[in-house]
Amino acid sequence: MRSASALSTRALRNTRRMPSTFLPTLAMPIFQSIAFAGTFFAITKVPGFPTDRSINWYMPLAVCMGAAFGGVGLGFSAIKDMENGFFDRLRMAPTPRRSLIIGPLISCYIRTLVVVTVVLLVSIGFGARPTSGVVGLAMLYIAALGLSTVSAGWGLGIAFRFRDMRGAAIMQLTLFLTMFLSSAQTPLNVMTGWLHTVARYNPATNILRLSRQGFLGDVTWDGVWGGLVALVGLSVLTLWFARRGLDSLDR
Amino acid sequence: MTSPIIATGLARYFGSKDEPIKAVDGVDLEVKEGEIFGFLGPNGAGKSTTVRMLTTLLRPSAGQAFVAGYDIVKDADKVRRSIGVALQDAAIDPLMTGNELLELQAVLYGIPANQMKKRADELLERVGLTAAADRRVGTYSGGMRRRLDLALSLIHQPTVLFLDEPTTGLDPMSRLTLWEEVKRLNSEGTTVLLTTQYLEEADQLADRIAIIDHGKIVCEGTPRDLKAQVGAPTLLITVATHLSDTATQVLKEFGDMRPTAEGTLGVGLNAGVEAVTDVVRRLDEAGIRVQHLELNEPSLDDVFAEATGYRLEGAKQ
Amino acid sequence: MTATLSVQSTAAMNHNWRIGFRQTVAMSKRSVLALWRQPALVVPSMIFPLFFAALGTSSFGRAINLPGFPKVDSFLDFSLAGTIVQGVLFGSVQSGSALATDIENGFFYRLMAAPSSRLGILVGRLAGAAAYGAFQTLFFSLLLLPFGMSIKGGPLGVLIMVVSGGLIAIAISGFMAAAALKTGSSEAVQGIFPLVFIMLFFSSAFFPRQTMSGAYKHIADFNPISHLIEGMRDICIDGLSSGAIARAILVPIAIMIVSFTLALRALAQRIAAQ
Repeated sequence: MRSASALSTRALRNTRRMPSTFLPTLAMPIFQSIAFAGTFFAITKVPGFPTDRSINWYMPLAVCMGAAFGGVGLGFSAIKDMENGFFDRLRMAPTPRRSLIIGPLISCYIRTLVVVTVVLLVSIGFGARPTSGVVGLAMLYIAALGLSTVSAGWGLGIAFRFRDMRGAAIMQLTLFLTMFLSSAQTPLNVMTGWLHTVARYNPATNILRLSRQGFLGDVTWDGVWGGLVALVGLSVLTLWFARRGLDSLDR
Repeated sequence: MTSPIIATGLARYFGSKDEPIKAVDGVDLEVKEGEIFGFLGPNGAGKSTTVRMLTTLLRPSAGQAFVAGYDIVKDADKVRRSIGVALQDAAIDPLMTGNELLELQAVLYGIPANQMKKRADELLERVGLTAAADRRVGTYSGGMRRRLDLALSLIHQPTVLFLDEPTTGLDPMSRLTLWEEVKRLNSEGTTVLLTTQYLEEADQLADRIAIIDHGKIVCEGTPRDLKAQVGAPTLLITVATHLSDTATQVLKEFGDMRPTAEGTLGVGLNAGVEAVTDVVRRLDEAGIRVQHLELNEPSLDDVFAEATGYRLEGAKQ
Repeated sequence: MTATLSVQSTAAMNHNWRIGFRQTVAMSKRSVLALWRQPALVVPSMIFPLFFAALGTSSFGRAINLPGFPKVDSFLDFSLAGTIVQGVLFGSVQSGSALATDIENGFFYRLMAAPSSRLGILVGRLAGAAAYGAFQTLFFSLLLLPFGMSIKGGPLGVLIMVVSGGLIAIAISGFMAAAALKTGSSEAVQGIFPLVFIMLFFSSAFFPRQTMSGAYKHIADFNPISHLIEGMRDICIDGLSSGAIARAILVPIAIMIVSFTLALRALAQRIAAQ
């Protein structure tokens, strides 16, 4: 456990020393929240749209994208460490392998918490209004932390298998597609055509629904359980994927 | 007391099943306690791969090895606790300072918090990096990075130390400093396995040497014994090109031909140094003028050439 | 740029022009070939815009009936222009980055050292960008037709759009080239990408300006990208009106003049710094 916290501290410290990697992680969700809400402002007028504030709809999307890309950042750091040889040193240490994943994951959570809070506050400044108090906000945080876990596992797993910057491109692309082929831009009842078919089965739709619970009305069990199941299931899968990848480095 | 490093039939293959690349092809080795063992060979011979297997970074395709008494596959964790490793490229994180890296290493190796600072300071002093300890490692020179790497490998006071090409790319001063340090560590009781492509390094540091080529060990022993085995000193001569065949015939009367650089001929003088005058007289009788003549006592270079059939890159002639 | 015209005979001048022209053609060929040989570079400027268009159609299909939304049969009619400009923008960042890489790895100075036309280097790259932009316009237009898109302006409209696409490409690439010549760093030019992306959003690229509100709408109104897009868009939706054609051609030309001047100045500065 000491090792995990030491690795977490290292990750946070390195982030502080290279702010050029963190600032986009913070700036992009803020931008996305405002830009989507502004560009698609009129979408709220489509019959059946669940809110009349476009930023209420798009801010959770921006938070989720931010959390997901933050998680993938762990994959980037792992690739960097592998490229400069430091990862060998980490692997040779007699600490349990899991602390190599858990340590950076903790730092990722801390970063995600910062990002969510900042984006939330800025969006409120731009007109977002929570509709179900603290419980609703909690759903947003849960969705974000869950997504960070899923994408961290995915990012690390890809990093361990590709070991170079090709992995970085793959991580980002897959994440981007997954997040957008869902109810990212419009709710299921508003979309038409092929996207509707895809989005229905995409777990990201459930997760986004969870994250939006605090901004579209009341928090209902119906709106929550799908997202929780998706998060837990995907987290288990991707963390296992990452762990297997780590072990395969020895082979 | 079991030897700190014992390997039998260690092998590592890469690539497809039908046409595997045999990076390491059946290596047997035994490093005795308290010795410095030199693993010598050109690039691509399999040195680093062998070290990576022995240090649990890579799983062997075949064979077995015990390091510090533990099986490298089954008890990898216990092996890691007992060994220190400094690999070919200093494995560091450029964003961290020397102190921070040592601290992280200490935590990873389970060193109690109250001992961490003391050990780190001692090691920094030992490798001469106390002044630079709070600077980011990215700003260190190549030599400084190697020294930090060495410090990192020693934080948990291992009994066995693996050094993979520790002085490759270093300037002569840094190289000498590192040699001193290795000797000092050894005198304090640390067993050292070091790989190198520099004959002089192996000659200077190692108690015993194994020469590896194309994944196999081709000979093994103390530097002195190996040189004695080669025995005969090498006579190198340069003659006009059209006369080299005739010259070779003459030289063959005195011993075996030895591989040399382009434009020179080399022979091992079975009768020893006294045979030189006879050689020169016979060449003269054959009407061959000697443009250049050199006599070399057997060196590891010759040992290597005898064992592998070619000279090591970058070695002196 | 060069001040030696007065001492040359007409024949020599013609000769220089011809050489300069050939060199320019060679440079443009090189730009295009670079894209052809590294298909991965093409992804951001080809795949992303199409992806967003596809996504938009399904997501916002119902939005075309909203008040303020121009009358269209398919969302694609609306989004084609935005998609094209998106692709051209991303492609321009790429071409600017390639120029910066040329400077970084010294190839630029090799060109300088050769008796080649100074201008040719810049014009060649811009011509290559124009060719690519025209190609993207044609490609996207044709590709989306089977998906229910229709272009009111017909084949002539498409032709004008292709010209417009080429002009927009020159206009934007001019800025990117200026940035590349000024900074000499491909990383810096790549860093402009997010800014371009942001500007794209604060425009009418994805949704009509009339449906926006407040400060956001103001920004979109003043954003030159909105105007770059709307000329083309009107040809798609309304057909070949003189207003639409004028916008589609004149707005890019106006911007082109500004960006080309900037690029020329940056080129002169870099050469002078030699």
